[in-house]
Amino acid sequence: MGQNSGHQERGKKPELALSETMEAEAEVQSNKDEAKELKAKERRLTSVFGVADLKNGAIGLYNLGQSCCLNSLLQVFLMNIHFTGILRRITVPPCAAQRRSNVPYQMLLLLEEMQRGKRKAVRPTELACCLSAHRVELFVQHDAAQLFLRLWNLIKKQMKKLELVEELSDLYTICVQEHLACQNCSFEIKNNSCMLTLPLPVLDSNSHRLKTLEDCLQYFFHPEELTGQNMCFCQQCGMKTPFLKSMKLVYLPQTLTIHLKRFCFEKSSYTHKLSHYLPFPRDLDFNGVLTENQCHADDNEKATWQYDLFAVVAHSGSASCGHYCAYIQSLTERKWYCFNDSQVCQVSWDDVKCTYGHSNLHWGETAYLLIYMKKHPQQPYPGLSECLGKL
Amino acid sequence: MAQWQEVQGLANTYLEQVHQLYAGSELPMAVRQCLAAWIEDQNWRQAAEPLSSHARMLFHSLLVLLSEQLGSLGSSHEDFMLKHNLRKAHRDLQAEFEENPEKFANLVANLLQEEQRILRLGQAGGQGGSSPAPAAPPERGREQQIQRRLAEFHTALQEAERAFRHLEDLQDAFDFCYKVHYQPGQDRIRDPQYARQLQALQAKLQNLDQQRREVLAQMQQLLGRSETLRELLQQELGDWRERQQRSCLGAPVDTNLRPLETWFTGLGQGLFQLRQLLRALSDLRQKVTYERDPLAAETPLLEQRLQEQLTHLLKSAFVVEQQPSTPNPLKRPLVLRTGTKFSARARLLVRLHDRNHRMEATIHIDRDPPKVKGFRRFNILTSSSKTLLAGDSPQEGLVCDFQYLTLKEQKDSRSGKGSKGAGESPLVVTEELHLITFTLAYAYCGLELELKTSTLPFVIISNNNQFSSAWASILWFNMLSSDPKDQHIFSAPPPAPWPRLAKVLSWQFESVAERGLSQNHLLMLAEKLFGSKPSPESTVAWHKFSKDGTGFSFWAWLDGILGLLQEHLKQLWKDGLILGFVSRKQERKLLKSKRTGTFLIRFSESVLGGVTCTWVEHPESGGSPTFHSVDPYTAVELASLALPDIIHDYHIMMEENVPENPLQFLYPDTPRDKAFGPYYSQRQEGNLTEPEKYLRQRLIRVSSRQANKSWQTEEELVAATENLETLQLQPRGQGTQWDGGLALPQSQSPGTPQGVAVSPGTLQVVATSPGMLQPGALGTLQSGSQCLEPPQPPQVGSEVSEVVVQVVPNIQDTVEVALRAVGTIQVLPGGVGMLQVGPGDLGTLQVLPGDQGTVAVDTGMLQQVGTVDTGMLQQVGAVDTGMLQQVGAVDTGMLQQVGAVDTGMLQPRPGAAEPLQVTEGQGLLPPELRDLELLPRSQDIQELLQSLEPGSGTLETLEVAELMPNMPESLDGRPQLDPGLAGAAVLLGHRDPFLPQPEDLALPTVNSLFASTDFPPLHVDASDFQ
Repeated sequence: MGQNSGHQERGKKPELALSETMEAEAEVQSNKDEAKELKAKERRLTSVFGVADLKNGAIGLYNLGQSCCLNSLLQVFLMNIHFTGILRRITVPPCAAQRRSNVPYQMLLLLEEMQRGKRKAVRPTELACCLSAHRVELFVQHDAAQLFLRLWNLIKKQMKKLELVEELSDLYTICVQEHLACQNCSFEIKNNSCMLTLPLPVLDSNSHRLKTLEDCLQYFFHPEELTGQNMCFCQQCGMKTPFLKSMKLVYLPQTLTIHLKRFCFEKSSYTHKLSHYLPFPRDLDFNGVLTENQCHADDNEKATWQYDLFAVVAHSGSASCGHYCAYIQSLTERKWYCFNDSQVCQVSWDDVKCTYGHSNLHWGETAYLLIYMKKHPQQPYPGLSECLGKL
Repeated sequence: MAQWQEVQGLANTYLEQVHQLYAGSELPMAVRQCLAAWIEDQNWRQAAEPLSSHARMLFHSLLVLLSEQLGSLGSSHEDFMLKHNLRKAHRDLQAEFEENPEKFANLVANLLQEEQRILRLGQAGGQGGSSPAPAAPPERGREQQIQRRLAEFHTALQEAERAFRHLEDLQDAFDFCYKVHYQPGQDRIRDPQYARQLQALQAKLQNLDQQRREVLAQMQQLLGRSETLRELLQQELGDWRERQQRSCLGAPVDTNLRPLETWFTGLGQGLFQLRQLLRALSDLRQKVTYERDPLAAETPLLEQRLQEQLTHLLKSAFVVEQQPSTPNPLKRPLVLRTGTKFSARARLLVRLHDRNHRMEATIHIDRDPPKVKGFRRFNILTSSSKTLLAGDSPQEGLVCDFQYLTLKEQKDSRSGKGSKGAGESPLVVTEELHLITFTLAYAYCGLELELKTSTLPFVIISNNNQFSSAWASILWFNMLSSDPKDQHIFSAPPPAPWPRLAKVLSWQFESVAERGLSQNHLLMLAEKLFGSKPSPESTVAWHKFSKDGTGFSFWAWLDGILGLLQEHLKQLWKDGLILGFVSRKQERKLLKSKRTGTFLIRFSESVLGGVTCTWVEHPESGGSPTFHSVDPYTAVELASLALPDIIHDYHIMMEENVPENPLQFLYPDTPRDKAFGPYYSQRQEGNLTEPEKYLRQRLIRVSSRQANKSWQTEEELVAATENLETLQLQPRGQGTQWDGGLALPQSQSPGTPQGVAVSPGTLQVVATSPGMLQPGALGTLQSGSQCLEPPQPPQVGSEVSEVVVQVVPNIQDTVEVALRAVGTIQVLPGGVGMLQVGPGDLGTLQVLPGDQGTVAVDTGMLQQVGTVDTGMLQQVGAVDTGMLQQVGAVDTGMLQQVGAVDTGMLQPRPGAAEPLQVTEGQGLLPPELRDLELLPRSQDIQELLQSLEPGSGTLETLEVAELMPNMPESLDGRPQLDPGLAGAAVLLGHRDPFLPQPEDLALPTVNSLFASTDFPPLHVDASDFQ
């Protein structure tokens, strides 16, 4: 509820471009709600967001052939009201051919079809065709993390409005500052880099299992000494010297994607899945996980680094063949759903916890991507560029 | 139908929502109502799919059913309206959906879904009050969640099966069309009809493919949910294991496996069903397959995943239901003794088995023994394999019950005898942990698995005296170890956090005597352990718990108390009459403000397994109160007299005063008899008007107060003076029945009879060995009845020797006992009473007539106590001090006679009356003894006695009749056992030669005894006492 009112106060952008069908749908919805006083609030929200974001009854997506990975990611995108809020404001490409090949537009169509039809599941055929035109092949088992990056980049690239691109970046991009400090002199190289996911290793350098997600995060941001073969050339010293490599967190987005690197390459050719137990919290506070000098942000920014788990993309099976499904907490209903292609069912936190993994179960579901959502989005929204500008 | 009925049962607010739902719906509620069952049985979701012919079929079925309903309706008034409505609905539906049955299917599917949603809301609202808060108590919540999930799982499974059958139909249809229409060839490719057919075929294939994917997605979802369910069951099982561990320690917890079994079986059944479905699904591929057939890619994956889950479920479902245990009074499992039978039981919680296939379970001890030098190895002697059996009733689980197992230590051939030498093994025997592993070859529905489970670690002892410390190890392990296979824990035993230890200690008391330890008890124990108040962080080291201590360790002390409670004080402890653990300081604080005579019962801190009373006395002159404690009673004392009786009859002797019972009020201020009244042993009150055959007897405890000392010791026997303190030890040899031993250990010893019964027909006097008093001999007597050492012949006349003479007549009729350097004579009438005579410096004479009376004679003092009913007769004669005290109580009155020095002269009267009575009256004496009046030996002994204390007079036991003339019946000393006492005599066994036997009266023995001038050793066959 707090979340809902929060959105409302934010009074997001007036120039909502509801498509015609959407408007009709909203009207039907409104009429239906008329009688119920309880839903008055939702109705107001309806006028702002459209039906999909409020009533987004979880709708399945038919598997078109190895498309479970795509389906899971699409659900994660489309259940995210912050993302659909951007998606709804795109400009519709003028000609039919462009429409067919425009990924954001096809996604919007799919979203509307899902929400309009009141069906159990929808076939994402057009979107799949559109994607395959952009070399995202069908009938191929994808890696969810890679596919997520490709999808996101396609969406970003094909959005025409600059402000939407910026919003999209703000919504997803993580910014860190890499430091390379010579251990002999005071020479230091700083480098800002942006990423879409935090690729967390689940084993430490000695191949020991890390116990929790927090451990993984700490290990990821732990400074690393580059000695021996890894020494870098220091301009000031004029020779190869040991360096200390560290990473500082600058900006965390509204939607934070964490990639658990649950794979290890034992022998160069053979990829091996790590299915061991790795619990992740339901709410994650980066201020409690990282130390002061692992962050490079002001207190205002850091205050927003509190997250709720929003979605888990889980993988079952082995590294070579497997199945993806998505556990997503509806942001409007606050209920967890499990999306197995066309099958959608309401689940509980216990089900989500089952994706922690188990060292004795190699074929069960294990979390692969974790998508966290900021608890209290800061107002005014400090964009990524602002944060970068401060550096 | 169920759903619609449930909907109708909803609360009004939710019912309102249902009405709203149908108000705007094209399906009238009337139709929903009259075809409820049928509507709910159809798969509308499925039918709503595009290209599905199912929807049309369903739609038409509905219309047909509706017409049938119309036809069956009568012509009554109510039916009239319904008829009208239904007819209208029929018409409307037909008009609306004839062209578009899929839309109708979708409509119905959505309606049903919405109904379910409202139903859920309504039910949650009904349970959780106004808000559907997730704040349900976690325990109950989980149980309900499991039930709910199990039900959901089975529903989903049924749905998947339905979807599968639909898929089969689709595939058959496609297969048929394909075979009929698909004719590859050049000639027809241009035929537009053929092209249309091919197109239709293509659409069918498309549909089939989608349905296959649909079913696969359903399977994925099912597996995902079942994983969660299995995880929840695993947690429940983990909790159960923890509970079992605690229950082994005596905690009162529920270790019933039934609910778990139901759940495990439910899930197992579902998974096996799913497995079958999956097999059938992959069989479908044999008939029709195509490029990118999802079945080809996904079924192997699903099968792997399912197999893994099923295996995992079954493996965890094999549990040890009953940990290995031997029956023992303290109900302590996990301590086994070599050569003693024990049992253990494993159970498979997934109650699925093939009756035609026997499943064998085997057991192994120490499969992977820890690599510890000197670790003992054992063999299980009895059969180590057993068939897994299901009881016939559904209540019984699938169990393999191993009973009558015994262990035997393996002899190490290399090191030969005594391989377990001292110091060879770093582990003490009682710290060596062993495991038994159960292995089951499981086979069901083509799934073959080896299931294993292990017991909790147990300790193997070879002697009962290791039992206590073995149990300490078990306590420590189960309290602290999280890994049930950690056999090494005692190589570095972790310390126990006090709060946890406190709980475990409390369970010990709870399991033994149904009452745990209170906060105050635990505080005292903590202070004893830590020397100060405990903090929640305080820990106790293993060493401190089980090894350190002066004389005995903390645990040995506590276990001694537990043993005492178990054997003697259960009820008092349970009812809270024993304050128990009170430090001396605290005790004083408690009693200080209470009136004189207030007492409390606490456990001794200095004696192993002792209980004592402390009372307060406020001096009349004022000043600070004094506190007195009785020397602690141990199991030995309590075996002959229960604590409530001790308290009831406890007396204290003061030189100048009448004996009195100082125990008046149980702390805080309950009058003694009110508190302990219900616990006093049954007195044979008898009929007061009816003449009593015998005087009643009673054993009481008396302490003497010494003038110079502030406090006294407590005596075991009726009367004692300060120089008789040694006597406290004496009775330990007698009357104590260590594991079913003998009531009269002295009977074992072929001692020389030194006492002579005047009435040979009635009495048997047997002297036991000297050295009863000596610690060494004492030890043997205590330790076990069966291995009494043959005592040495009595050292006649020696100062140190003590001879216990047992006189076992029916009653206390004139008994003359003469002793030479005898410590004690006990007369046990009917096996209960006691007569003790002590001349010289030691000894007491006690006559215990009937049941409860006591007569005690000693050189320092002659005391006779006879009880008639509730009254009390006490006769005290002090020869050397020249004091005679007679206390006779008849009925309720009390008679006391105190004689002065000169009146203490007692004439020896060797009980002439009784033999005469016997001979004349019963004719049971052999002829040669008929005229016997005086036994020559007894005469001698009397002389001897006189010579012992020259000038002090002769010792004699007075006839009761003289003291109590109003009870002449008591003179009738009959040789037969009083039938009323037969119960008591059972103690001794009817073949006991010391008991007067009605048929032979032991006269030959007497004859032999007194025929010779010497004292021939009495031969007693030990087998008489077995």
